[in-house]
Amino acid sequence: MKILAFDTSNKPLSVAVVEDGKVLAHVESSENKTHSVTLLPDIKNSLADASLSVNDIDRIAVADGPGSYTGVRIAVTVAKTLAFTLNKPLVGISSLKLLAADGGNEQFLIPLMDARNDNAYAGVYSSKNGKLVNVIDDQHITMAKLLELLQDYDEDKLEFINATQKLTDLIREKYPHAKIMSAEDSLPDATKLAKLAEQAEPVKDIDSFVPTYLRLTQAEHDWYEKGHKDDGNISYVEEV
Amino acid sequence: MKKDTLIMSFESSCDETSVAVIKNGKEILSNIIATQIKSHQRFGGVVPEVASRHHVEEITRCIKLAMDEAKVTYDDIDAVAVTYGPGLVGSLLIGIMAAKTVAFAHDLPLIKVNHLAGHIYSANFVTDLKYPFMALLVSGGHTELVLVTAPGEFHTLGDTRDDAVGEAYDKIGRILGINYPAGKQVDQMAAVGNDVFNFPRAMVQEDNLDFSFSGLKSAFINRVHHADQVHEDLSKDDLAASFQGAVLDILSNKTFRALKQHPVNQLVVAGGVAANQGLRKRLKEEIEKRNMDMELIFPPLRLCGDNAAMIGAIAQIQFEKGDFADLSLNSDPSLDF
Ligand SMILES: [Zn+2]
Repeated sequence: MKILAFDTSNKPLSVAVVEDGKVLAHVESSENKTHSVTLLPDIKNSLADASLSVNDIDRIAVADGPGSYTGVRIAVTVAKTLAFTLNKPLVGISSLKLLAADGGNEQFLIPLMDARNDNAYAGVYSSKNGKLVNVIDDQHITMAKLLELLQDYDEDKLEFINATQKLTDLIREKYPHAKIMSAEDSLPDATKLAKLAEQAEPVKDIDSFVPTYLRLTQAEHDWYEKGHKDDGNISYVEEV
Repeated sequence: MKKDTLIMSFESSCDETSVAVIKNGKEILSNIIATQIKSHQRFGGVVPEVASRHHVEEITRCIKLAMDEAKVTYDDIDAVAVTYGPGLVGSLLIGIMAAKTVAFAHDLPLIKVNHLAGHIYSANFVTDLKYPFMALLVSGGHTELVLVTAPGEFHTLGDTRDDAVGEAYDKIGRILGINYPAGKQVDQMAAVGNDVFNFPRAMVQEDNLDFSFSGLKSAFINRVHHADQVHEDLSKDDLAASFQGAVLDILSNKTFRALKQHPVNQLVVAGGVAANQGLRKRLKEEIEKRNMDMELIFPPLRLCGDNAAMIGAIAQIQFEKGDFADLSLNSDPSLDF
């Protein structure tokens, strides 16, 4: 199976073409380039490197969040439009799971994304027979609460992945011995994304495929805080 | 016989997701518009992050509907066009990424379109445009007088110094207790009220072609606040009529000043505020009063708001000129002519 996989959920960009586990092409950029500018040229170049036409691809894989709202939307929009327009299967993989795939052999992998003010996007994954299994759902969470959730686990079996210096300091206060992979060392890798996607179920309804933001917009949050409720039938977007 | 050109166009610069299939820049085979108004009404105006999220939800559905309605396959399409600015950056990006993806997947040329040019060329579905012509572009984001000297050749003669006219409508609408977008209701109230408050007509004495609406907006707000303080009951219809009276005086004054400096035979009024009945009536009367030989062109209401059909109309001209973009196309949120 030939898979085109890409991720732009955070600063790094990664695009890969993988056939049955064999990497045919791989483009990565850790610099702060504009994903909206580079993603399609990178996809085009990757396919050219792999000597494939986009029509030869059997499956499209994308990291679908959480992450930078705009970044995730860029990859998800390209992925869903490509899958839709070429009638190809589409697989969305958690951007946190993709980071977890970068981890070592510890029993519990905790991929993180710094969400500022001592908050993070985080999930807990466990590696079983070479497969990553989600143990605690991806969520937007305060670091204090996340570290508390982990207190029943054996500290020696934890590995935090993609921790900024700030998050590292917070983790160290509670778990001085846990393994920590720094943000500089944990780059999302589209070849690993392709591997995860090979084992996953394609999405059933491409039209309804959207990023997993894990957070409401501020405006919606405030609106619900004021006691507003969605009217069950209301459709916020209408064709006119 | 010359072969027909079919362009698939995308528009997502603000709170409408739209995809159209346009034949020869003149014929609308489909023009699917998904509006988010109901969502943003919760917040009293467009929230950019919410808008971006909705665009991702709608984009492929809109493509599918546009192709189904036009009864076309990708083999029929000659080019893909997309708005790349001005607009909200997050919103623009969804249309741009989708359009680039379709162009790439089907090996079609890509055309980047200025949203403002699109609005002006919505008139192309109404009549044959004769150059040079004048365009008054009035919307929630723009208030401009543009001279179009040749196909796709734009010269801005005047611009707003502060608020766009549609923005001013929304702001005073809020004071009148009208939810966004307020233009239509203010227009209706103005039709029954009287212009009794003598709000200022900013810059109508000045010889330039620029607009300003913030003074009018402030005068309106001050008048209402003063009435509140002294418990005076003001007629909302009269307030609306007085506001609209000042707006129409400003728009009409500057437009006819421009027409005097640049005599043309067609005046195109485009953008969301072109749906305003008071404006339609006023400009018609002014032309008659002046005995001008002038074709006044208002796009049908459906084409006044943001839509992809208008993007396909101007894209046709760019297609004929060979004005193509590549896959590195990015948004330009503050794009102008
Ligand atoms: Zn517009």
